[in-house]
Amino acid sequence: MTVFKAFLKVLNRYKGTVILYTVILVFFAGFSLKNNENGTSFVASKPSILIVNHDQEEGITQNLVQYIEKNSEQVNIKDGEYAEDDAIFYRDANYIIYIPKNFRDDFLQGKNPSIDIKSTGDYQASLAEMLLNRYLRVANFYFKITNSEEETIQLTENTLAEQVEINVTSKLDVNRLEKVATYYNFTNYCILAGCIYIVCFILSSFKEYGVKKRTIISSTPYAKLNRNLLLSNSLFAIALWIFYVLISIFLIGDVMFSMHGLFYIINSFLFTLCALTFAFLIGNLLQNKNAISGLVNVIALGSSFLCGSFVPMEWLPSSVLTIAHTLPSYWYIKTNECLKIVEVFDMETLKPILFNMGILLCFSIVFVLITNIISSRKRKIG
Amino acid sequence: MNVIEVKNLTKTYKQLKAVDHLSLEVHEGEILGLLGPNGSGKTTTINCILSLLKYDEGSISIFGEEMQPNAYHIKRKIGVVFQELAFFEELTVYDNIDYFCGLYIKDKNIRKTYIEDAIHLVGLEEFRKFYPKQLSGGLKRRLNIACGIAHKPKLIFLDEPTVAVDPQSRNNILTGIETLRKEGATIIYTTHYMEEVEILCDRILILDKGCIIASGTKEELKSLAHIEEKVTIEDVALEDPQIKQIRKLENVEEATYQNHSLCITYKQGKNNLIALIDYMKEEGIHYSKIYSERPTLNDVFLELTGKELRD
Repeated sequence: MTVFKAFLKVLNRYKGTVILYTVILVFFAGFSLKNNENGTSFVASKPSILIVNHDQEEGITQNLVQYIEKNSEQVNIKDGEYAEDDAIFYRDANYIIYIPKNFRDDFLQGKNPSIDIKSTGDYQASLAEMLLNRYLRVANFYFKITNSEEETIQLTENTLAEQVEINVTSKLDVNRLEKVATYYNFTNYCILAGCIYIVCFILSSFKEYGVKKRTIISSTPYAKLNRNLLLSNSLFAIALWIFYVLISIFLIGDVMFSMHGLFYIINSFLFTLCALTFAFLIGNLLQNKNAISGLVNVIALGSSFLCGSFVPMEWLPSSVLTIAHTLPSYWYIKTNECLKIVEVFDMETLKPILFNMGILLCFSIVFVLITNIISSRKRKIG
Repeated sequence: MNVIEVKNLTKTYKQLKAVDHLSLEVHEGEILGLLGPNGSGKTTTINCILSLLKYDEGSISIFGEEMQPNAYHIKRKIGVVFQELAFFEELTVYDNIDYFCGLYIKDKNIRKTYIEDAIHLVGLEEFRKFYPKQLSGGLKRRLNIACGIAHKPKLIFLDEPTVAVDPQSRNNILTGIETLRKEGATIIYTTHYMEEVEILCDRILILDKGCIIASGTKEELKSLAHIEEKVTIEDVALEDPQIKQIRKLENVEEATYQNHSLCITYKQGKNNLIALIDYMKEEGIHYSKIYSERPTLNDVFLELTGKELRD
């Protein structure tokens, strides 16, 4: 109890920094979730197309225009090349179709007339191009067979009117799971920085040369004191973990009460354990209190950037990811990424997740062993 | 009864013999002074006695039992005030004493009384809620002492507790140590301030190069110096023949003249000062001040080792 009381009093001296850090991190977590709102969910949309028709609106030309208009958002801008270029530049239109003069006549004469286009080059423009190509391909095909404009129009309309029903069997709330993954990836930094900062400050106070010497000569066994210190730090780490889990429930909601949520929580707990043991190791190695802030930045920020906490893993170069394998953050974030695409929880899908969690546990054990070796060597004074 | 018995203690750091076959006994209720220059082995000896350091040879027993790192029942009766300040910067004066006392005393009520006693002993009543960084160097030293003795130990090690301390704090600390002795504690006091040793200690051990070179009461030690009296004459102008003449006076051991000041040491004898004054009068030599002193422990140390205590 003596150690725990002193621990709380020392912690109390750092409460200002802890609160400031936490408020900033929670703000950033919320901000990052807000930015991720339209991440990967399916939203039906039509491309914005501007049709500049230089031909008569009759026959096949009229039918082409009608088909395009039916399947796209029409853009109305004033005539002129500059206005059209601006529309493309500012993404007011994804695609501009220039139907040439005598298109109908050339088509009926089998000349295969060319149509000029301007495109933004994005996926909406690709969709517009697909609409145009599909119409021309089908119309060309039927005209070659029937050699009649009327029949060609009729058959093309019938063919293009065919609908295919698609059922989305996945019940995954991809958008919200993406949010959970983003949030928990971000907690990599919060938990790591929080644990290292506080544990190192506390340990450097308790293991300061004079205080340590006074403790060793006291009638309290040093091993018992170390145990109490580890326990006190563990309680802090668990409180920190619970805090971030509660924030995730507050920010994301009921997904956290599903199997996915449960695994995210378990994974973050294992990572907290890992961060705590790592912080204990650093705290035992550290001699200088002034180095702690720098160390937090190097370790927590460094591993967050290297392992995909702030930048998605798929954007990172393979050489960086190879290095990241040696850090616990990598396995934690990898599990978060795996979890967001898991449809059914069975041994097959859980295998890589459990493997990653196992590696986190191994990291914790290794950190504890190294700390014990260092601590027992440093116990001897002089 | 002997509280501490050290026999043949030897501690070596690579090539350097920090403690060399040292044997000592500390009697119950006494203040034993360990006197010696920096690097003489005082702190190493204490660290060995406290099992903070492994030693190469010898045996150490405290309260009749062999001292070991896990002898917690012995450690319960020991208090240590180290040379370096040892407390939490993040805790107040009261909380610091409470923490270190709590490592020995689990009962909250007893601890509360003990803390108040310690605060009173070192005179920190007005600074209970102060953080160490708000205290002066002297007050920090007092806090350092309070943290070491709050659990009312029977055996106290004070390792240079007055280093870099203002006169007021020094007096306060020395009074506190006297009080601890009156309360029955046995104290081992290491310092290189001989005045403190002369004031406080019942027995003195003089250490040099890891060995005890002399031991005894201050009177016994002073008798080791082969001088009985030291006379100093200030602001005096002397010619070489006059100095030679003074050296020839009865009982004069040595006479050194520098910076218009003459220092004469006498082996023994009575009326040395009268004889000297008579000679000065006879020669018509003027001076501003003349005084006679008994030899100090520094003179003893100088005689035994050929160097000053604070070298």
